[in-house]
Amino acid sequence: MQKEKDIIDGCLSGSRRDQELLYRRYAPKLYAVCLQYAGNTEEARDVLQEGFIKIFDNLSRYNHEGSFEGWMRRIIVNTSLERYRNRYYLSRVDDIEDVPEPEAEPNTSDFAGLEAYDLLNMIMELPPKYRMVFNLYAIEGYSHREIGEMIGISEGTSKSNLSRARLILQKKVVLLTGVTRKMVNV
Amino acid sequence: MFNREPNIDVVFRNGLKDLEVLPPSDVWENIPPMPSRRSAFKTVTSIAAGIAALVSLALVAGWYLRSNETGTRMAEMTIPSGEQQAVRVSSSPTDAMEESAVHSAPPDDAMTVVRDLNEGIATGPPVVADDQQPLLAGMTGAGRESEESLPFSSDEITVITAGRLTGAGNTAMPELAEVSSRAAGQRFLVGASLSPSVGISPQGQDARLAELMSSESSRPSYTTGVTVGYRISDRLTIHSGIGLASVGQTINEVDVFAGLSDYYAVKSNYLYSVETASGMIRAGNTDLYLTDAGNRVGSLVQGADPSKYNLTQVGSEIRQVFRYLELPLLVRYKVIDGRMGLNLSGGVAYGLLVDNAAYTGQGSDLIRVGHTEGVNPYNISSQLGLGMEYSISTNISFNFEPVLRYYMTPLSDISGALYKPYSLGIYSGFFFKF
Repeated sequence: MQKEKDIIDGCLSGSRRDQELLYRRYAPKLYAVCLQYAGNTEEARDVLQEGFIKIFDNLSRYNHEGSFEGWMRRIIVNTSLERYRNRYYLSRVDDIEDVPEPEAEPNTSDFAGLEAYDLLNMIMELPPKYRMVFNLYAIEGYSHREIGEMIGISEGTSKSNLSRARLILQKKVVLLTGVTRKMVNV
Repeated sequence: MFNREPNIDVVFRNGLKDLEVLPPSDVWENIPPMPSRRSAFKTVTSIAAGIAALVSLALVAGWYLRSNETGTRMAEMTIPSGEQQAVRVSSSPTDAMEESAVHSAPPDDAMTVVRDLNEGIATGPPVVADDQQPLLAGMTGAGRESEESLPFSSDEITVITAGRLTGAGNTAMPELAEVSSRAAGQRFLVGASLSPSVGISPQGQDARLAELMSSESSRPSYTTGVTVGYRISDRLTIHSGIGLASVGQTINEVDVFAGLSDYYAVKSNYLYSVETASGMIRAGNTDLYLTDAGNRVGSLVQGADPSKYNLTQVGSEIRQVFRYLELPLLVRYKVIDGRMGLNLSGGVAYGLLVDNAAYTGQGSDLIRVGHTEGVNPYNISSQLGLGMEYSISTNISFNFEPVLRYYMTPLSDISGALYKPYSLGIYSGFFFKF
């Protein structure tokens, strides 16, 4: 298999073949990210296309430090965020509605039977504002302050959205797996 | 809120970590080719190098002309006075033949001939300097102009014709006058040329490319066109024109069958793709079924096995053909000026892709398969040639010139067989001067 650096160098020298090779290698993983953020296949397809155009446009700026896949993923996430910001108007919510949280959570082993596609579908079915915050916080690891800056909401709103996203997801998990014994207030 | 990381987050993060979903097939097709970052730099430097080469060529030519002129003058000026001969010459060939005369002169007398070495011949009556009269007193206007261009005052002019022009018999003088006079009138030329060439590709380092190239072979390349030229000086000519360049290669070991449309309903623009070292051939001809023993041929056919259909084999190879409209700009310098001359040429050519096709078939019975993706729509090349020019008559000449061409922009985005930075060809053609 051709080395990642060789493919990048090939792309930079204008080799369409290497560009296609890079796309074929990483597109499936990045498309899954697009689906997580976009919520539907049509938009995910657009994000992937737009994201790869940006990846190729900015490839010369990649300095081979850190994960290349991580670098591409950030571009895809940022592209998703741009589209989200352009599409959805988020009203600032200062008064955070108190969201009940589970007193106990199911153990991760209870979800062992869940397929990745099930999880993806659950995220895709979330309302956009919950989906964005959950992805950025739980999957990407951003803080609420960072998320607030990214999508133009307050930290409190970010926390609120995250809580609601978690509740919705837990409900869906319960429905799918029948794990209810440890779920409280769901 | 949660003080510790909830399990639901961990479940989703871990569960989605390695998830891969195959994107729709048309996404890649809608991503435009990435412009070459490095080749852009290379192109700029190559163009700069080309311009520098042209300027150098022009300077060398100019220097050669000047040194030739100066050398002749110096030679003339150092001929012992005893061998000096006064020559009366004329710009008219007839006059030159009739009026060219050699006069013996007293050894002590310096004979003066007003002669513009660059232009060949200038008019003027013989002027003898022994009486120390103003040398140009009786000269015509043309003679004056010639004299005025010399870096001497009229009193100092003691220009003596070189021995080679005024040697025994002095027969060269009328000939020179005639040739120079005629050449001076032939400023333009038109011609037709044909340049067969072979490309020189660098060896690919990629294993897949090497595998693909192992069953590909170059097709004969040529450039043909019409050339027009303008003679800047006796030795220097600038050429341009328009030409058609054809390059290509053959993809071996791909079997092509016709008749698929009788069996398979086609919805897409193409059904088969053929991976080549120079790009991906998209088989837009959906009547064709393509197959190979290796993994070069890709297929979008689903739910059918065309190999079981009753199809007719129409070919066992695919020929990729690319044609470019070329606009050259060349400078040609006569290193040796004579009936059999030697020319040095250099310049650049801009090629615009006008045909990109892939064919199959046998002999001249060709079936269009599709086109190749990833081929540059234009190219810029520089070239350097050294060859002979044979003057068949005073108006017609034949050129035969080996030419080394360097492609500053590759023909293909892909570093495959079409990526031929160099090509070696023979520029040949007939020129008519007027």
